[in-house]
Amino acid sequence: MTIHRVIRHVQRYQGWVGGGAALCLTVGLYLGLLGSPPDYYQGEVVRIMYIHVPLAHTALLGYTVLAGGSAWYLWKRDPIIDNMCHAVAALSACFTALALLTGMIWGKPTWDTWWTWDARLTSFTVLLLILLGYLMVRTVVDDLDKAARYGAVLAILGFVDLPIIHFSVEWWRTLHQPQSISMRGVSIASGLLAPLVVMSVGMSLLFSYMLMIRTQLLYLNRLLDAKKGRLLHQFHMSKADS
Amino acid sequence: MTPFLKTIRWILWKDLVIELRCRETIASMVFFALIVILIFSFSFSMDQQAAHDVLAGMIWVAFAFTGMIGLGKSFSAELQNDCLEALQMAPVSRGTLYLGKVAANFAFMFVVEILLFPMFVILFNVDVVEDLSLLLVVFSLATAGLAAVGTLFAALTVHIRAREVMLPILLLPMVVPVMIAAVEATKGALNGDPLSLYRPWLELLAIFDVVFTIVSFWMFDFVMDA
Amino acid sequence: MSMTAISCQHLGKAYGHYQVLHDVNLTLAPGECFTLLGPNGAGKTTLLKILATLQRPSEGHYEMLGMNGQTDRDALRSHFVFLAHSTHVYDDLNARENLAFALALRGQRPTDHDIKMALDRVHIGAFAEMKTRHYSAGMKKRLALARTMLARPRILLLDEPFTALDSDGTAIMRDYIGERLSDNGTVIMATHDPEQARPVTTRAGRLRHGTLQEIALDSCVRRNDGRDMQPDDAFS
Repeated sequence: MTIHRVIRHVQRYQGWVGGGAALCLTVGLYLGLLGSPPDYYQGEVVRIMYIHVPLAHTALLGYTVLAGGSAWYLWKRDPIIDNMCHAVAALSACFTALALLTGMIWGKPTWDTWWTWDARLTSFTVLLLILLGYLMVRTVVDDLDKAARYGAVLAILGFVDLPIIHFSVEWWRTLHQPQSISMRGVSIASGLLAPLVVMSVGMSLLFSYMLMIRTQLLYLNRLLDAKKGRLLHQFHMSKADS
Repeated sequence: MTPFLKTIRWILWKDLVIELRCRETIASMVFFALIVILIFSFSFSMDQQAAHDVLAGMIWVAFAFTGMIGLGKSFSAELQNDCLEALQMAPVSRGTLYLGKVAANFAFMFVVEILLFPMFVILFNVDVVEDLSLLLVVFSLATAGLAAVGTLFAALTVHIRAREVMLPILLLPMVVPVMIAAVEATKGALNGDPLSLYRPWLELLAIFDVVFTIVSFWMFDFVMDA
Repeated sequence: MSMTAISCQHLGKAYGHYQVLHDVNLTLAPGECFTLLGPNGAGKTTLLKILATLQRPSEGHYEMLGMNGQTDRDALRSHFVFLAHSTHVYDDLNARENLAFALALRGQRPTDHDIKMALDRVHIGAFAEMKTRHYSAGMKKRLALARTMLARPRILLLDEPFTALDSDGTAIMRDYIGERLSDNGTVIMATHDPEQARPVTTRAGRLRHGTLQEIALDSCVRRNDGRDMQPDDAFS
């Protein structure tokens, strides 16, 4: 095994991605926190949206990448794809957790409660549980191939399940709480939209940057293990011969 | 009969014969459910009305957890003398093995549900409608959903450390739609509501069953085959 | 029929940084019995499990009867039997039911007469209706042998076939292996007891730290005597 050609490409471009992320996030935060007007209904509180919504979007995007990568892995069995999936899952779990957290912080002043079984919050919680289950499986299975296969199966099943979960939860909420305040009801003024888009792009770039670093780390670790194995083997053989 | 169906029937036959001889799985499932019922009755000091309101929820909490026991056992029993290896080496498609196991798991879970339902009604002293055929439809659709995903996950967790813990951790988030739909539809069926009120939930269950039987059938390959 | 029954090229298997098999090359023709020797932990069982489609090699590939071990797994599986260290017997079924189920999975439907003949041949015919839970280890091994006989595989993978068997059982096992060989079957047998394997062995190899070395039959037997259990063999 040698350094994967994908890693070479990644190493060439990761600086641009990281720089883009820093730029977009700086501009986005400036626009969001200082350069945009407060919301007519929610006042200054609405500014957490510029963190919350991009986090949530990126987490979902990450999950889509995870499912696609898993299917690809099951098809091609390329170890680097598995490392990518592992990295994506951990990052998606972090982003999902942060999205939930910021959602709760936003919910306190707007709904006057930290937590409500809102359709989106509920399905994001389920998503987080699925991701944590995925990560747990990867840690408790010792055999790397097995961990990769099991993880891929879980990710694909979860991806198929996600729309069904969201649909059923939403339906269940409307049945029980028809007057529920919807976050989406408020139409977004164009002044709020620009920072949101910039922040979303920045967050996705940040995610990609971290993904590149983490994938490299996991892959190099795998190479290291293989190398260790070959050296150990040579050592045993030389000892056996002498 | 095609070889495909024959293999499914043989796996079902094998699981049923062993179960009839030992009565281990069903007995432990029923026993566990009885304890759950007992704990429910301690936890909520209920009058008849309150019991009536939460009955559907309690039923499905008990069914889901007893189902978990049955699902876990269906593959851990194959570890004896490494019989699972023999299944893995069998020259049949992995999907056949999957469907055979789903059939067996469905049978066990459904039998346990049929045994438990009267106990719920009697012990919580609730009135239910006389015609229970729709309730059976709800039970079978929801159980099929649990068995479809559960069988795949039971096979997935059988070789990993702490499998008794991992199975529910992985399975329960995935079957959230089944639980929601099952509770809502059971409520409707128990109240004797017109079918049109909870029919969408039945459709949701049916869609879940079809989608996840197909996906798991296909994924079983990657779980069972090295 | 192809001239090679089994061919492995550069097979390797690694668990993390532990290399279990390293560059294993082996070609067997029909009618050959290859005896795989080596200390515990040398990778004998791993090699057999890879051939039995229970594990995937991390490197290299193999063919059996012209079928690729990675891509034609379903087709390949009906041509071999892996008689593993564990017996693959359901404790709560009796011997007859165990055989019927195992053969049914292979798409075979032995008659009651066939089953009775096979059980009689391994001398457990008297216990056909007994739950195998009450069997001794040797009896279970015999039952597994009866299952193998009924399956009539062209390739036989044996992992420690003689353990748990008494002298009578060992003789039956050896007879059966001889019968398969004269019927142009191919056998790979992992064992740490070369004396018992010797009468049927046509070629032998020794696994050390995952590397396979073919050895002359006589030398291997002498060299191996009394050396197998030395700790430096397994852990050096």
